Amino acid sequence: MDLEYAIPENLYYDTHDFWIKVNGEEAVIGLSDYGQSNTGDILYLELLQAGETVGRGDKLGSVESGKWVGSLLAPLSGTILESNKDVLVHPRKVNTDAYGDGWMCRIKLRDSVEVKGLLTAQAYRKWIIEQETKEEEIG
Amino acid sequence: MERMGTPWRLLDMGAISAAHNMALDQVILDARSSNQVPNTVRFLQFSPSCALVGFHQAVELEVDENYCREQGIEINRRLTGGGNLYWDESQLGWEIFAPKNTPGIPKRLEDMYRLMCEGVVVGLERLGVKAHFRPTNDIEVEGRKISGTGGTEMGDIFLYQGSLLTDFDVDTMLKALKLPIKKLADKDVKSFKHRVTCLREVLGYLPPLADIKAALAAGISEVLGITLEPGGLTEIEQQRLEKELVHFQSEKWIRGTRIVSQANDLRMADYKSRGGLIRVSIRLDEKRQLIKSAFITGDFFAYPARSILDLEADLKNSSSNPLEIAKRVNQFFKSHNVRIPGVEAEDIYLALCLACSREGDRNDVKAL
Repeated sequence: MDLEYAIPENLYYDTHDFWIKVNGEEAVIGLSDYGQSNTGDILYLELLQAGETVGRGDKLGSVESGKWVGSLLAPLSGTILESNKDVLVHPRKVNTDAYGDGWMCRIKLRDSVEVKGLLTAQAYRKWIIEQETKEEEIG
Repeated sequence: MERMGTPWRLLDMGAISAAHNMALDQVILDARSSNQVPNTVRFLQFSPSCALVGFHQAVELEVDENYCREQGIEINRRLTGGGNLYWDESQLGWEIFAPKNTPGIPKRLEDMYRLMCEGVVVGLERLGVKAHFRPTNDIEVEGRKISGTGGTEMGDIFLYQGSLLTDFDVDTMLKALKLPIKKLADKDVKSFKHRVTCLREVLGYLPPLADIKAALAAGISEVLGITLEPGGLTEIEQQRLEKELVHFQSEKWIRGTRIVSQANDLRMADYKSRGGLIRVSIRLDEKRQLIKSAFITGDFFAYPARSILDLEADLKNSSSNPLEIAKRVNQFFKSHNVRIPGVEAEDIYLALCLACSREGDRNDVKAL
């Protein structure tokens, strides 16, 4: 199945549709192209602030699109080094430049072993295909 | 959709305070998330009346707090997204709590909205009302809004909720909420009121509340392919409710703590087209380049008659960037085959751009 979503090879992903760029003990995260597409035009975005800590699977922030408030669940544990202030004011950048200006947080990792639990681009692509197939079956 | 085995709970707590209703949403999400309760459909009613803002909204921008205080209207904040609402004691709300991966429920939000609203549309049909889903998330009758909806999620569980206007006090709503019409003439206010309708107006009478609830429950059951069984709160939910209530009554919850600076400027513009005057009133968040809502009137005639109402719905929370406005208006005129003698899509675009611009910049607004 051909996918219409961009999935850069040099990034990790998780099943909550985050992309994760790991750089030593730090990681930058954002919403994947597939994630932003499912979410729709983003109107509001809230993120934890620098200095706050978060555990893997804990709430990192919230996002609102078309009257839906969704939770952003942290793909990795750590301390927030920086939240993208620009994207908080202009959250549509998540839609228009998911892997660039639409980045959300920079995190100092608490346990780099957690990275092993993330999906490679290939595994994420396979996971998306499974999701799309399920949707098609539902009709 | 196929009827599934395990019955869903039908929960009806009657009329309770805004904080109780908001706390209950959290409690049921928690309980469903930890698998302590079944999937649930809940009716909600409010007493006293209340003004509710969406999760990311700021109370001071959306609600006339002095008026609400004087009238005993409660103010609270929803877990769900969307705009400000006035909810009096005659309105009925409906909610659906279930896992996001429930078979038959689409993952893509816009598809999910359509399915959730379809249950209410089918329910209304049982009452003799021909209603339709209108993207993004309204239910309308002949173009006039009768139900607004929104949702949220916790872990793998979602909450989708909507209001149903049964019998509605529009004048109090206009006073309680900050809407884009405060400075308009009586004729325009009348036109604004025409944007919404209620069961009493559509049917010519108001069916008993029990009949409305039965019809909605039947519609939701049919569309989702589920069986509903009336039930109450579990002991765990009741205990949690007591604790959560304190939080949902607090200023910290009602006013929020992390809301990014927002704006809610009321802007108006009159634009003279060949076909007549176009008057646009918008609520604009200039910093975020967002048209929060738009209201378009004038002495022109649109075909189909509901075109302007649908265009207003389409413009809600859309970009105020001139290029985006032009694209949206043009696309809307084409897809809805809009015809207004003497008024082109470009006239509407120019009127909107005038309203979005600052007074001093209005001479710079040009056709694209």
